[in-house]
Amino acid sequence: MSALITSIRQRLFWIWIAFLLIPIGIGLYAGILVLTQGLAVTNLSDLAPWGLWIVVDLSCIALSAGAFTLSALAHLLGRETFRPIARIAVFIGFLGYSGALMCLFLDIGRWDRFWHGWVFWQPHSMLWEVTMCITLYITILLLEVFPLAAELPIFRRFPRVRAFAHRVHNNTYLLAGLGMGLSLLHQSSLGGTYGVVAGRAFLYRATMPLLFIASAIAAGLAFTVQMTLLVQWLRKRILVPRQTLFQVGQISGVVLLIYLYMRFWDTTAGSYGYVPGRTESDMLLMTGTFGISFWGWEIILGGIVAAILLIWAARRKSIGMLLMGSGLTMAGVIANRWNTTMLAFAHPLATAADPQLTVPASVQYFPSAVEWATAIGIVAGLTLVFSLGMHYFPAYQGITSPVPATKPSDPKPQNTNTPTGEVSHAI
Amino acid sequence: MDAPRAMASESDVKGPYWAMVIDLKACIGCSRCVYACQATNDTADGHLWNVLIEDKDHFGVPVFLTRPCMHCENAPCVEVCPVHATYHRDDGLVTMDYDRCIGCRYCMVACPYGARVFNWKENTDPNPKEGTWGSPEIPRRARGVVEKCTFCSQRLDKASERGLVPGIDREATPACCNICPTSARVFGDLRDPNSPASLALKGRQSIVLRANLGTKPRVFYLLPN
Repeated sequence: MSALITSIRQRLFWIWIAFLLIPIGIGLYAGILVLTQGLAVTNLSDLAPWGLWIVVDLSCIALSAGAFTLSALAHLLGRETFRPIARIAVFIGFLGYSGALMCLFLDIGRWDRFWHGWVFWQPHSMLWEVTMCITLYITILLLEVFPLAAELPIFRRFPRVRAFAHRVHNNTYLLAGLGMGLSLLHQSSLGGTYGVVAGRAFLYRATMPLLFIASAIAAGLAFTVQMTLLVQWLRKRILVPRQTLFQVGQISGVVLLIYLYMRFWDTTAGSYGYVPGRTESDMLLMTGTFGISFWGWEIILGGIVAAILLIWAARRKSIGMLLMGSGLTMAGVIANRWNTTMLAFAHPLATAADPQLTVPASVQYFPSAVEWATAIGIVAGLTLVFSLGMHYFPAYQGITSPVPATKPSDPKPQNTNTPTGEVSHAI
Repeated sequence: MDAPRAMASESDVKGPYWAMVIDLKACIGCSRCVYACQATNDTADGHLWNVLIEDKDHFGVPVFLTRPCMHCENAPCVEVCPVHATYHRDDGLVTMDYDRCIGCRYCMVACPYGARVFNWKENTDPNPKEGTWGSPEIPRRARGVVEKCTFCSQRLDKASERGLVPGIDREATPACCNICPTSARVFGDLRDPNSPASLALKGRQSIVLRANLGTKPRVFYLLPN
């Protein structure tokens, strides 16, 4: 009977993988369209030059912030209990940054010149700093994920690869330190990318880097918790002790509250001390169509409610609350990145090409089918690799088996799908 | 000395200080400067480097404002470009290296004047304004790069070797200034007290757009009254 259930579960996994191939296929086709036809296939315009891809890029990077935070907690502050979840976080982080790079690759008009940022330096530019940091940090993430991949049985035949992986693993603390430095730089400078734009009243604020890093830490931790819970539930295994998940959830909730507090004073002080255009753009954010996503998703559900659920879940020992709280935090940060990007262009510049010198009308932008297809395709691709990683990587086979082993002496864990009895390097 | 010329004299830029002066009282909104720019710089309709904005004042009297690139001394677009594709020339004008631009459009986000346009698609159509309004003097830009007004720098560059004075000799003056039927747009060196730009500023009240941003534009607007 249990063999039957196992076989169904195994088949369900492959149905899931096959299902993911559909949006990936459509996304690939749409991506080729973008690369060959140019950005004319998007709904972007001179008035709204950035859109869905930038939102996905910013969201991916924010949700990947769990990698550096948990690595720092586990390896720099020596919190051993965070090691299992840090291992999941670096994998999510690596995928998140890959997704962000894919989005940027599509978004730049000349993808054949993607390497220009590394060759033609412009240290004055926030975006140059972001380019360098992201490239360096994804290398760090690759090195952090590499020892996990090297445990795959296929690498048994390559002892040198494993030896190198072992050496890399022994220096995890170094990678964690570098990763934290780079992340603290570019998670903030992504906010700075917007914050330095003096011409756009909604964006131009020195607090932007701080708001971005705080929301990213909260969302990154919450997202890691959420993915761990999902994998544990779907795969019927325990990857991270419950207590650790609740702890990480609480940290996320507290950081989220700190972020909301900073956000409140940023907006309030900006409105009291009149910055030209600031109050108007804040009003635009808080009323009308933006009002729903701002109050509903960003502040109430994805902010206050999410923080309360995350903090309270530990007291109530409620996995449901933890799952809901982390999900809402994720939704909140995505809504924030969307609102921030869209608001930048909602107020037309006083001298834009359209005759809107005195009438502040919203710039209309809604992503085109091609933009949606590529964005969904990228997310599906990341989900696919994540699913496969959780399926095959020995490090993610669970620390304890929920089903009691038939023979306690059997080194092979139950209910795992890869033949491995090896002790993970990282444990 | 009026404020624009004082600014020019204090600037770090060596040599002439190029500036454009647009008289809002004299402008009749005929769009000729827009057409001449399109013909000379080979831009399609809806892809304008120089635009005409129409509005009305408080008494319902039409006001026409044409807007080229401001060629700011503190140009936000230059600061934000991640690959140094947008830069200040030695003479202070803001121009682009189209072979270096990666098309990230950060400069469009940063420009406070909306003066930049992106090549969303390859422009293969015939120039709609060629012939009547002038002929293209620079190659078309490829798909996927941002582009902008250059103050017709191709003309300025040839001025010294041909012994011409920009602002006075038509071959060395931006196309938009040459074509203006009411001489509402003039060009010249603000460090030369007798240049057309300096003379136009004399005794008139001038403004720059969005002065509070501190971008120090090189385009000055003379107020109607």
